Amino acid sequence: MPAEAATAAVAETAAPLPLEMTGIGKHFPGVIALDNVDLSLEAGKVHALMGENGAGKSTLIKILAGVYGKDTGTIRIAGRETSIASPGDALRQGIKVVFQEIALISEFTVAENIFLEQYPTGRSGSINWKKIRQDARALFERIGFDVDTNARTGALPISQQQMVEIARALAHEARIVVMDEPTSSLTPAEVALLFTVIRRLTALGIAVIYVSHKLDEVFEIADTVTVLRDGRHISTRPIGEHTHDTLIQDMIGRQIDDLFPRSRGQASGKVALSVKGVATEKLRDVTFDVYAGEVLGFFGLMGAGRTELAKAIVGFDPIDKGTIEIGGRPLHPHDTRTAVSLGIGLLTEDRKGEGLMLDLPVVYNLSLAALGSFARGGFIDETAEREAAQGYVDRFRIRTPSLFQEIKNLSGGNQQKVLLARWLLRGLSVIVVDEPTRGIDVGAKQEIFALIDQLAADGHAIVMMTSEMPELLGLSDRVMVMGEGRITGSFSRDEATQEKILNAAIV
Amino acid sequence: MVSEVSAPPKSASLVGALVGNNQIVLVAALVVICVGISLAVPQFYSSANIIAILRQVAMVLIVACGMTMLLITAEVDLSVGASLAFVGVVAMDVINVTDSVFLGALAGIAFGALVGLVNGLIVTRLKVNSLIATIGTMMILQGGVFLYSREAIQNHHHLPSFVDIGAGYVGPVPIPVIVAAVIFIASYVVLRHTTLGRYLFAVGANEKTARLSGLRTTWLKLFAFVLTGALVGVAGLILGSLMNAGQPTAGRGFELTVIAAVILGGTSLSGGRGTLIGTLLGVFVLKVIDDGIIVLQWNQDLQMIVPGVVLIAAIYLDILRRRADAR
Repeated sequence: MPAEAATAAVAETAAPLPLEMTGIGKHFPGVIALDNVDLSLEAGKVHALMGENGAGKSTLIKILAGVYGKDTGTIRIAGRETSIASPGDALRQGIKVVFQEIALISEFTVAENIFLEQYPTGRSGSINWKKIRQDARALFERIGFDVDTNARTGALPISQQQMVEIARALAHEARIVVMDEPTSSLTPAEVALLFTVIRRLTALGIAVIYVSHKLDEVFEIADTVTVLRDGRHISTRPIGEHTHDTLIQDMIGRQIDDLFPRSRGQASGKVALSVKGVATEKLRDVTFDVYAGEVLGFFGLMGAGRTELAKAIVGFDPIDKGTIEIGGRPLHPHDTRTAVSLGIGLLTEDRKGEGLMLDLPVVYNLSLAALGSFARGGFIDETAEREAAQGYVDRFRIRTPSLFQEIKNLSGGNQQKVLLARWLLRGLSVIVVDEPTRGIDVGAKQEIFALIDQLAADGHAIVMMTSEMPELLGLSDRVMVMGEGRITGSFSRDEATQEKILNAAIV
Repeated sequence: MVSEVSAPPKSASLVGALVGNNQIVLVAALVVICVGISLAVPQFYSSANIIAILRQVAMVLIVACGMTMLLITAEVDLSVGASLAFVGVVAMDVINVTDSVFLGALAGIAFGALVGLVNGLIVTRLKVNSLIATIGTMMILQGGVFLYSREAIQNHHHLPSFVDIGAGYVGPVPIPVIVAAVIFIASYVVLRHTTLGRYLFAVGANEKTARLSGLRTTWLKLFAFVLTGALVGVAGLILGSLMNAGQPTAGRGFELTVIAAVILGGTSLSGGRGTLIGTLLGVFVLKVIDDGIIVLQWNQDLQMIVPGVVLIAAIYLDILRRRADAR
């Protein structure tokens, strides 16, 4: 294999590699998160770590950061075998991880945060504040970034907080810096700046792990790419050997067309949902129609307002302005009870928090929204309820030992199918799905895609909120792009490309 | 594969098999306690003592039915003891003024329901945590009842039909026991077989889910609060009748007995989980222990201490059971 040859060649020539992880395995109850995964870094190079949600990227990073222990495998830092006991231990061994959720103390100043673990003290043991500020400024000069070191950290935008984290890495003389999805909430200008800083780090001989699932960024910044899928190592190659297609194929394990079955033809032309001028605290003048039999995809970066829109149009969150009509009838009063009775409901992105009744059995979860139709005089016909639920369990191939299994014991994919069945049993005409495959493994994803396709083919109108580009392009008949609470672009299936969509998403 | 995984921790699966069902443990505990006390003091199973126990059980069970539903919706009401005393005082006062037991009873139940409504509105509208909110109303009611009347209000007209509510019989069965049985069966049917019951579970299991599914979550919680309050009204009438007076100091610690019984029966404080059969058994266990301490002529202070120990032991057993389940 060329990948192995390449790593071997490097190992012969130079000093020991800054990091070698070999045969890393990690189990969680019922899940193999990592299975025999290897990762080696070269000094002064950017190594991209790619994979879909659940591929094992975060688990691997958390092992490196000392958040999780590993079950199997060895870690060598600068050629010496070691173990990483805690985040503090990782930092002492020269590994700095910049997580998506920035771990700074927001009430402290920038300078205080940078020297949090090692305040320079004077002779009396008191902290030398002047030195802290000077040292902090010197660090920012080294990475070529200017920030007010006296500012309260929490008041800075995420992009600047990332820079504070990177400065912390330098303060600890880290040799390995890990960036976990660093651009998920950055503007393009901020991304460009971040890349400049990353190049400065590599110029200092620091090895960078860049975790992302954004192809364009990886092609721009990375020297080498390792792809994980379902907890296994799939490939490690120099970026020059990859094309977009080969990377996607490595990430999802098959051609993109196979993942998204398409059984449906043209939408009917009947408006199922009409949203006009809807405004809330987070949304501004959102207007669109959805037709029966189509999937309308909504794309947006973090904070674009997709989930806010989803919750507003199903009556869960109030709206300040605008009208929502379902099948020609206005959503008034604006609450979920009215919404459901008019035939619109939300498949939430937060299954545990808003979708499932974890301690209750599958059948109760499945029948919840439609329970009234199984009742006479308030008494539930439990036989009819069970038969209907069993019908969906069979039809959707929901894998559960019994209808009375507590739903928390099902896998994410099967839980999602139960929640989808909940709405179908209720007989909705419009289903709003928010991140329908979040936290679901690849095999089950394909089943969910097929179900969504089938629902549209059966004449349902589907509004799909997603941040996954393949999902968006693979499933949608039309694409709407959101940014800062507004619709910033609208594309037909034929017009929509990743590039156009991203350009529209960036406000 | 599954058997391989579950085989090694033998001790855990043994515990799991032993306490496979919370209710079986309660039944077993109840049998052991009854047999033990009977061996020591034969008059424990005299009909007089059994009727005394049943009457005690009835009072607690009536309120515990409502409390079970309330806990299932993930809320709690700590004001039931204070409300119980107030109900007796109000009912007695109204009876003395109107000379009508019916109007007095109506006033008592309405007062209890009103307290429940206020509790429910504070929790659902003002979004105050129910534990805090009902500690607040408990204190208000405890003070309020003394503002209303410093002393016990006596049955001035000596109406015998008021005394019958608590002390009367139908055949050999005390009236409170019949009232409790009717309330228990009705509650059981509602919780087990109706949409209302299922929705109460749904609200407690996940309120956001319930709301997204189109359920009237606020209304459902209000219902559970008002029902609990009204049942406190019923129990307060029985207590007042047994004392033949409205006693402002009555009902101290009653809320703890009720909640302890419901929790003992396997209902979860975090909502979405609970059974009325469990509650019934929980009430019996506590009240039989209570009675046992009296007939055994043990130190009366143990009447508080022993149930406390039993409650902690039962919940710990339940944790062991769930752990065994989870394997």
